[in-house]
Amino acid sequence: MLEFFFNPSSVAVVGATPKEGKVGRVILENFKNKFKGEIYPVNPHYQEILGLKAYASVQEIPGRVDLVVIATPARTVPGVLEDAGVKGVKGAIIISGGFRETGTQEGAMLEDEVKRVAARHGIRVIGPNCIGVLDNWSGVDTFFLPEDKMRRPPRGYVSVISQSGAFASALLDWMAHHGYGLSKAISFGNKIDVDEVELLNYLAEDPTTNVIFLYLEGVREGRGRDFIDTARKVSRVKPVVVYKAGKTKRGGIAAASHTAALAGDYTLYITVFKQSRLLEAVSFDEIMDLVKVLSTQPLMKGRRVYIVTDAGGVGVMLTDAIELNGLEVPETPADLKERLRSVLPPHCIVENPIDLTGDTDDQRFITVLNELLPRNDVDAVVVVALPQIPGLRGELFEYLVKAKVYGKPLLVVLIGGELALKYKKFLEENGIPVFESPERLARALSALYTYSRIRMQGGVS
Amino acid sequence: MNAGSIVETALREGRSKLLEHEAMRLMELYGIKVADYGFAESGREAREVADKIGYPVVVKVVSPDISHKTDVGGVVLGLKSGEEVERACEAITKNVRERQPGARLTGFLVQKMMPPGVEVIIGATRDQVFGPVIMFGLGGIFVEVLKDVTFRVAPVSYQDAIEMLGEIKASRILEGYRSQPPVDKEAIAGMIVSLSKLMEDNPYIISVDLNPVIAYSRGAVVVDARVIVSRASVVNR
Repeated sequence: MLEFFFNPSSVAVVGATPKEGKVGRVILENFKNKFKGEIYPVNPHYQEILGLKAYASVQEIPGRVDLVVIATPARTVPGVLEDAGVKGVKGAIIISGGFRETGTQEGAMLEDEVKRVAARHGIRVIGPNCIGVLDNWSGVDTFFLPEDKMRRPPRGYVSVISQSGAFASALLDWMAHHGYGLSKAISFGNKIDVDEVELLNYLAEDPTTNVIFLYLEGVREGRGRDFIDTARKVSRVKPVVVYKAGKTKRGGIAAASHTAALAGDYTLYITVFKQSRLLEAVSFDEIMDLVKVLSTQPLMKGRRVYIVTDAGGVGVMLTDAIELNGLEVPETPADLKERLRSVLPPHCIVENPIDLTGDTDDQRFITVLNELLPRNDVDAVVVVALPQIPGLRGELFEYLVKAKVYGKPLLVVLIGGELALKYKKFLEENGIPVFESPERLARALSALYTYSRIRMQGGVS
Repeated sequence: MNAGSIVETALREGRSKLLEHEAMRLMELYGIKVADYGFAESGREAREVADKIGYPVVVKVVSPDISHKTDVGGVVLGLKSGEEVERACEAITKNVRERQPGARLTGFLVQKMMPPGVEVIIGATRDQVFGPVIMFGLGGIFVEVLKDVTFRVAPVSYQDAIEMLGEIKASRILEGYRSQPPVDKEAIAGMIVSLSKLMEDNPYIISVDLNPVIAYSRGAVVVDARVIVSRASVVNR
């Protein structure tokens, strides 16, 4: 339904300009650098912009136009949209600000006018007052932040929906820095038309999206039921991580009853997320923790977690954290204990958390993991490999990448400096999530388990 | 009278709160069990109602102008005879005249005094975004101080309702503790489902507090119901 926003065959950039530092220039450059379809700059003052033939209006463009990106002053937007409507354009991304968000009557009236024109011509709208769409696969990129200021993440399978454009930009820059892949990012600003409900629906069907992250300030009045129904449906297909901004109490609504007084805004959203089977990240850290585990790890069939460690203390910390998050660190079954005793030196601890102690080497880890990973009573394995010990040389990490064939969640704790970071980079590039904090690992693993249960329950409510 | 006309009457008369007996009747229409009750316009009538219900009873003031009955001395508990009922009605009239002089007195609600049990609260509110939302919690300090409550956006299924009972922190109290038998969870869950239905059927009801509902090992009974209505525009109708 919204395909033309992400995969248009042609796009018109209205307000395109050769002037350095202008929004209309950055957007045009973005398209020019990455987009494979037709690009038409629209600006009556130029014959040519950045080597592309410019047009005075959308109607003058000879070929078909699927998408217009509008970056002209607010008061001109209804006219531009009218022009696009006559041309038969399907979608408009309105970057321009100066509408309802200004709190002025003029802004609100302009916004209503935009809505009317769009409705009359059947144009779907993202925005206004937004940074629009970044699609790493098609090259659509209306983010008007230049690449040297906001790096684009590598191509990947995580998509981001954000009400806030600024937060989306910061998050993407951060993802780029940490090497996390992105499929699509959408920021819809004033949300006069396309909203999170439709975008969730679209991304559910998108073959290049495996995990969706939704930054939400609030759902539109009267749209709550659709939001719940859609989110529930989408969660059956792929995980949706949600972060709710504005957690403090809503003012203004006179509490007519006890119940109304207790049903604070955020309380209600927690309920809604639970009912919608969304996975809530409660902090910034958690957003990416959850996303990185959910986007790389297979489903977790049960709650039994085994820990293999070279540091007893961290093994205990991790055990506490995992159990506190509702998962289980079971005792090693008798037959496995026997197996482990026969292959390990006598000073190793075969009870879960399995402690290989500080004199371990790569091979000792590999031997134990070869025993653990194929077992049906092992649902996930966490490896604590503090790299400071002399015996670890890196083979373990190569083994872990290959061990993905066992189809079980496999996570790693690495604490330390440069060496730890080097291994972390290697592992994460190969789809093995690495954490420094046992608590954060436990929380993310628990979200994976929650999601696995949602998937296994299937259509059951 | 059906549910719609109870609400309609209140709105037509410019009331935002249903009268006590209207609220009770509304609950009954949805199969929500309430303590035996009757409405009386005078002390003598109250006595007749009490005789029919059986003692002990409670008498509560019914007035469109009073929102917190106890605060104005509008509730008398544990009445064991007809004389006590008549005297209670007189006392309530006097109290209200003194403490809220302008308040209209519609009459009295006479209710069967329920034996002690586990007090719970079941409530509903209508949210602008999500529509009807149903709440469950334990009564008294659990709700007042600890805010130990849980919510669901309607429609709430029976399964959802059973889950809600398990979600509050003090849910063990429902299981029975210190030799108390467990409460009738099915009965509470049934009320939650019925309230969800009530909210979906009646768009002008904007909130309901069933507080307290007394739960027993068999059954649960609404002792007080507060229903707020409004014609003000709410999107989720």
